[in-house]
Amino acid sequence: MGNTDKQFIISVGREYGSGGIVIAEELAKRFNVPFYERSILENIAKEKGVPYEDLKRYDEAPKIRLFHRKVKDNSTAPQDNVAKMQFDYILDKAKSGESFVVVGRCAEEVLKEYKGKELISIFILADKEDKIKRISEVHHLNEEDAWDQIVRENARRKAYHNYYCKGKWGDSRNYDFSLNDSRLGMEGAIDAIETYVKRRLNEL
Amino acid sequence: MLAAQIIAVVIFVAMFLLIVSEKVPRHFTTLGCGLLMLIVVFGICMRSSEAVMETLNLKSFADPNFWILSEGAEEESSGINWATIIFIFGMMVMVEGMAKAGFFRWLCLGIAKLVKYKTSSIFLTFMLMSFVLAMFIDSITVILFLAAVTIELSQLLKFSPVPMIIAEIFCANLGGSATMCGDPPNIIIGTALNYTFADFVVNTGLIAVIALVFVVVYFYLVFRKEITKDTTKGMKIAYPDPKEAITSKKYFAISCVIFAVAVIMLVTHAQTGLTVATIGIIVTAMTLITSWRGAWKLLKKVDYETLLFFLGLFVVVGGLEQTGVLEIIAGFIAKVSGDNVMLMIAIVLWISAVASAFVDNIPFAATMIPIIKALSTTMGVDLSVLSWTLAMGTDIGGSATPIGASANVVGIAAAAKSGHMIGWGKYCKYAAPATIIVIGISMAIIYVRYF
Repeated sequence: MGNTDKQFIISVGREYGSGGIVIAEELAKRFNVPFYERSILENIAKEKGVPYEDLKRYDEAPKIRLFHRKVKDNSTAPQDNVAKMQFDYILDKAKSGESFVVVGRCAEEVLKEYKGKELISIFILADKEDKIKRISEVHHLNEEDAWDQIVRENARRKAYHNYYCKGKWGDSRNYDFSLNDSRLGMEGAIDAIETYVKRRLNEL
Repeated sequence: MLAAQIIAVVIFVAMFLLIVSEKVPRHFTTLGCGLLMLIVVFGICMRSSEAVMETLNLKSFADPNFWILSEGAEEESSGINWATIIFIFGMMVMVEGMAKAGFFRWLCLGIAKLVKYKTSSIFLTFMLMSFVLAMFIDSITVILFLAAVTIELSQLLKFSPVPMIIAEIFCANLGGSATMCGDPPNIIIGTALNYTFADFVVNTGLIAVIALVFVVVYFYLVFRKEITKDTTKGMKIAYPDPKEAITSKKYFAISCVIFAVAVIMLVTHAQTGLTVATIGIIVTAMTLITSWRGAWKLLKKVDYETLLFFLGLFVVVGGLEQTGVLEIIAGFIAKVSGDNVMLMIAIVLWISAVASAFVDNIPFAATMIPIIKALSTTMGVDLSVLSWTLAMGTDIGGSATPIGASANVVGIAAAAKSGHMIGWGKYCKYAAPATIIVIGISMAIIYVRYF
């Protein structure tokens, strides 16, 4: 598996319906490291003693600028505050020396000081048909509704990401490894990424 | 002149849009727009070096009345309101010194201890403390410390900090309206029109105190369920000791003395003749000299971005003034209200309140001052009545929405950092009716007292 006693962080950006979360979870299992996705907010809610549902509605959500205002680091937008809490959480985990897999949350930008070293940033995309098939199955939707949901969610993720990051969401120049999992299938995609990660770990 | 007027309006609108969009830091926005105003409007369109000099207003430093006000001194000319900038700078330095010494945390914890950590009593006393502190200190600082202690106590005593923070924000904005130095619009109005601290206290101060009674009752009634619950029954709680908040007894004593001197100078400035610019400089000097080695650190902590924001803003508003745009707006208000002065008061009050609920009240107040001056001259309305109306409208209107005033932003963000999200719905549900109540009370008092 390479030099895994050293810290490594795999950030996984993903299109809605691409199966990126499944790939990320499997990678965490194969490398035997913690997997952070919704658990970030669950842990924050637990720490602050507030219901998870109160924070969840603002998770990876863009804000409407006209309705919010900032005074220095203070923002009225719950979206900003929830995003900041998650960014701090990810950064603290990285600073603690922990290795982990994290999904979304602008991790490739938040952890930019680890870029080219401990951080391995990945973006997962898929063909339209595969995305529709996956979302239809998971959410029991017809093809049309599934596609509408995919378009809506991807627009939301893009707006969220591009507000907080300099690099654009899904732009291959922004990630170490971009992969269309429709080409190799899920297993093939996971194997390919695992091979890539192992090569990177050998170079650490 | 028409081209200059159109360009001045375009620059002004662009400045507002850029501030709202947050694409560019707001001090860059106002400075950039101010520079455009100087070059394009005054330089290219008007070819008037006189307008540039009047707007930069550097001559005010040479005027003895800028430092010590003599009897019968005339109102300050248009352009950059240097007195406001110097005074705010001085207060920023003083507040940094007080914060460093642990003054605010000590005060909050001390009051909580005094009322035996009873939630409903903390709620009431913190509202009053917010009001009183905001009379002398900027409301951002007041809320920054008050909200932090509220959250700390809410975690200990197991209550939601949201009702208390919303009430504290409202009272800070209300307290700010009571004095000349409480809220930036008041400082701008006071220095531009030569009002004293006492003028504000007996006019806006009286309205604010009467309104406070209604506000305290209102918030107690709407939040009574949350604040009267006994959430700590049978719990053993380790309360924080107020004394632990003090970082240095020496600096704490010094900062208390400086604060007291600042308050005395402000309260008596009509008698002593000291202007707010001079008070700002004295307070700065006292804080820096007593901090000595820490002086550089304090100076570095000053919010220069806000001061630069003011600087650019005054130039942009000066552009509107020099080109006569504000006179046109004043003429429009006069036309709408006809000869009905009471209607004019209502228009100024409610427009100020509604506008301040959505846009920064500082540029709004700075823009409105030349307008009320023109209204007073053309319609023969008492300028002071229009001034108190403008002050109450801009100061209180900002309380209605999460984005109306800086204190709201700071309070909401503090709550959010502790996991308690306050969205538009939750905030406006409680603060908007309170704003309407206070604006209504202000209108009634202005009508009864001045007409």
